[in-house]
Amino acid sequence: MDALIAAAIHDAKNGLSALNTWLAEAQREHPSQALTEAQSVAIRVSAQMVELLALYRAAEGSLRLAIDDHDLTDFCQDLGAGRVLPPQSALRLETKLAAAADIGAWAFDAYQVNLVLLDALRNAVRFARRVVRLSVEKTIDGICFTVADDGPGFPAEILDGAETTMDSGSSGLGLRFARLIAQRHATPDGRHGRIELGNDSGANGGAVFRLFLP
Amino acid sequence: MDLRGKYGLLIDDIAEMRTTVRIQLADSGLEKCDAARNIKEAIERLSQRRYDLIVCDYNLGQGADGQQLLELVRRRQLLPLSSAFLMITGETGYEQVSTAAEYAPDDYLIKPFTSELLRSRLERILEKKEALRPLYQVLTDKVDRAKALAICDILLAAKGRYVLDILRHKGQLLLESKRNDEALALYQGVLDQRATPWAEVGKARALAATGNEEEARQHLQRALDAYPNYLAAYDSLALLLEKTDKTAAQEVVEKALKVAPSTQRQRRLGGLALENKDYPRAESAFRRATEKDRTGFFKSHDDYAGLAKSCAEQGKIDDAFAAVKDMGNHFGRSSDLLARQAAVESLVHVKAGNPLAAKAALARALALNDDQALDPTTALEIATACFATGDAETAKGIIQSVAEDHNENETVIQLAQGVFLAAGHGEEGAVFLEATRKRMIKLNNDAVAMAKAGDLDHAIAMLTEAADRLTNNCQVSVNAALAILMDVQRNGAAPEKFSRAQTYILQARRANPEHRQLADLAKFYRKLAPPGTPIIEET
Repeated sequence: MDALIAAAIHDAKNGLSALNTWLAEAQREHPSQALTEAQSVAIRVSAQMVELLALYRAAEGSLRLAIDDHDLTDFCQDLGAGRVLPPQSALRLETKLAAAADIGAWAFDAYQVNLVLLDALRNAVRFARRVVRLSVEKTIDGICFTVADDGPGFPAEILDGAETTMDSGSSGLGLRFARLIAQRHATPDGRHGRIELGNDSGANGGAVFRLFLP
Repeated sequence: MDLRGKYGLLIDDIAEMRTTVRIQLADSGLEKCDAARNIKEAIERLSQRRYDLIVCDYNLGQGADGQQLLELVRRRQLLPLSSAFLMITGETGYEQVSTAAEYAPDDYLIKPFTSELLRSRLERILEKKEALRPLYQVLTDKVDRAKALAICDILLAAKGRYVLDILRHKGQLLLESKRNDEALALYQGVLDQRATPWAEVGKARALAATGNEEEARQHLQRALDAYPNYLAAYDSLALLLEKTDKTAAQEVVEKALKVAPSTQRQRRLGGLALENKDYPRAESAFRRATEKDRTGFFKSHDDYAGLAKSCAEQGKIDDAFAAVKDMGNHFGRSSDLLARQAAVESLVHVKAGNPLAAKAALARALALNDDQALDPTTALEIATACFATGDAETAKGIIQSVAEDHNENETVIQLAQGVFLAAGHGEEGAVFLEATRKRMIKLNNDAVAMAKAGDLDHAIAMLTEAADRLTNNCQVSVNAALAILMDVQRNGAAPEKFSRAQTYILQARRANPEHRQLADLAKFYRKLAPPGTPIIEET
C-alpha cells in the first residue's frame, strides 16, 4: 500500500506536468483567460503533489535534505518570483534582495527551499490587494526570507499554530511542508530552521511569512 | 558568456530526452553538440576530443549513473576540470547528485526545466570555469601543488565572487600537501562565519591529519546528524573507523549506500564485511557489485574474488567456483586476471577440503608471478593462497617483494598487513613489514653515503640493481638516477649515462609523480645534459 501511495503521487505529478505542457500549447494557439487560470491550477496542484511526497517520505523516514552551498544571488534569480504573478495582473511584486550579494553563499537545500518560497508567494498573490514583497536578510545566526502581502492577513487560528481553518477550503499542506523543510535544516551545533507567521500591524496590514535558515 | 562556439556533449539513454534537451540546448545558443547513449559511447567521445560542457542525465540505465561516469572520467583525466559538467536529475535523484563526495558535478538541474533555466545555469558554470581557468589548468596538468596553492592565493587576493570555490580547492590542496594546521585554520575560518557541510568535513579531515582522530570522529558524527545526506562525511568517517573499529566502519558504509548506491561503496562494504567475518553480508554486497553494473566499467577483479571468498566461507562451494569462472567472463584476458582466478580458485579448494587441487591451482598462479610483473593486489592474493595451503615461506617472499616495490604506498602496505592478519599472523606481519620498510631506508641511505664518500661505482651498482628489480619504488629510482648524474659530474659525460639516468627518472615519475625530489632531479639532469641527449619532459 505504501509503495502504491508514492507511485500514485508520482503518476499524478507526471500527469499534471503533461497537462501543463498541453495547456501551454493551447495557450499559444488560442490565448485565453480561462487557460491562464487552468495553467495556474495545474502548477499549484503539481507543487502540492511534490509537497505531499516530501511529507510522505518524511513519515517514512526516507526524506533527506541535500544541503550544500548555494550562491544566494543565483538562487534568488532562479526562484523566478516574477512568474507567480498571473499575466496582466494588477499586483506589484517588490523584491529587496540586495543583502543576497553581501551574504554570498549559504548552505541549504535549494530545491526544497525554492518550493517553500514559491508556495508562500503564490499564497500571498491570492490574498494581496496591490503588492507582494519578497526579501532576504542576514540575521544574528542565519538568514531569513520574508514574503509579505497587503491582504487581510492570516486568520487568528493560523497564527495560533493551526495549519488550516474550518472555512478556508485549504488543506494546510503548504504550511506543513514549510514547517517540515525549515525544521529539517539543521547545523552540527543543534540549531534548526523555523517559519514564523504574523500580521503586519502597519498601515498596509497583510500577512507576513518568514523562513529562517540556520 | 556566450554558448555559441562552445562544444557540448549530451549523455542520456532515452532517445526522446536526448531530442528534447538537444532542442533546448540549441535554443540556448549551443550549436555544436554531440550525443552519447550510454557510458561506453560517452567514454569514446570524451577520449576523442575535448568538450567545453557535458550535459548528462543521472539515470543512464545498465545499472550505472551519471555520478559514476563523472567520477570515472575525471579520475582517468578524460574530462579536465576546465570542462563543465551539468547533471540532470528527476526530483528523487537530486539528493544523491548534490551531495556527491569527491567528484561533484558543477551544477545540477531538476526535471522538468525550461530552456531559459538551462541556459542561465550553463552560462553561470562557464563563467566560473573562465574565472578559475588558471587554477583548473594547473590542477589538471600535473601534480604541482605549490603552484596550485600560489594560484589560489592570487585568485583569493582578487576577492571576486568565487572565493568559496577557491577556498574549497585550497583546503583540499593544503591537506594533500600535509600542511594540516593551515588547512584546519582555513576550514575553521569558514565555520566561524556559518555552518556548511564541506567545511565541517574538511575540518574533521584536518583534525584527523593532525592526530586528533577521536575529535575528528565526533565532529563527523555531529555533521552527519545535521547533514544526513552528505556522502563525503560518511566516506571520511568510514575511513577513520577502519583503523579502529571495522564493525562501526561497516555500519557507516551501509548508511552511505542507503543515501547513494554505487559499485565502489558496495565493494568497500563487501571488503569490510569479509574482514568482520559477516559473510552473508559480504556475499550480498559483492553480488550487488558484480550484477548491478552491466556496463563493465565500474567493477573490478576484487568484486568476483570477494564474492568467491564470501561464498566459500559459508560452504557454498559451487557458488564460489561460479564466481571465479565469472571473473574470467567479464574482463580482458591478462596475466593478472588468470593469476587472480587461479589464486582464488586455490583458496576455494582449501575451503572445500581439496588440498591437492588447491596446490595445483596455486602452482598455476605462482608460475604467472615468475617475472613479478603482476599488480600488487594480484600478487598479494597469491600470497594469501600460499598461506592457506600452508606455504608460509613463499607467502612471505611474495609479500616482501611487493612491500619493497611499493614501499611508499600506504594502501599496498595495509593490504599486505591484511594478508598477514587473515592468515592469523597479524603481529608477525607488522614486525615483518616494519623490517622491510627499515631495510629499504637503509639501502637508500647506505648507497647515498657510499656515493658521497666517493665510491660511486659501488653505489650505482647497488641502486640500479634495486631499481631494476623494484620498478614501482620511486625513491630507489630517484637515487639511482641521482648517482648516475653524480658520476657524470665527477667523471665526465657519456651518452649512455644520460640514457640510463633518463630511464630511471621516467620510472620514478611513473611510480609516483608526486615525489618531492623529482623536480630537483629533473633540474639537475637538464643542467648536465648537453643538447641532443634524451629529453625527460613528459610528452
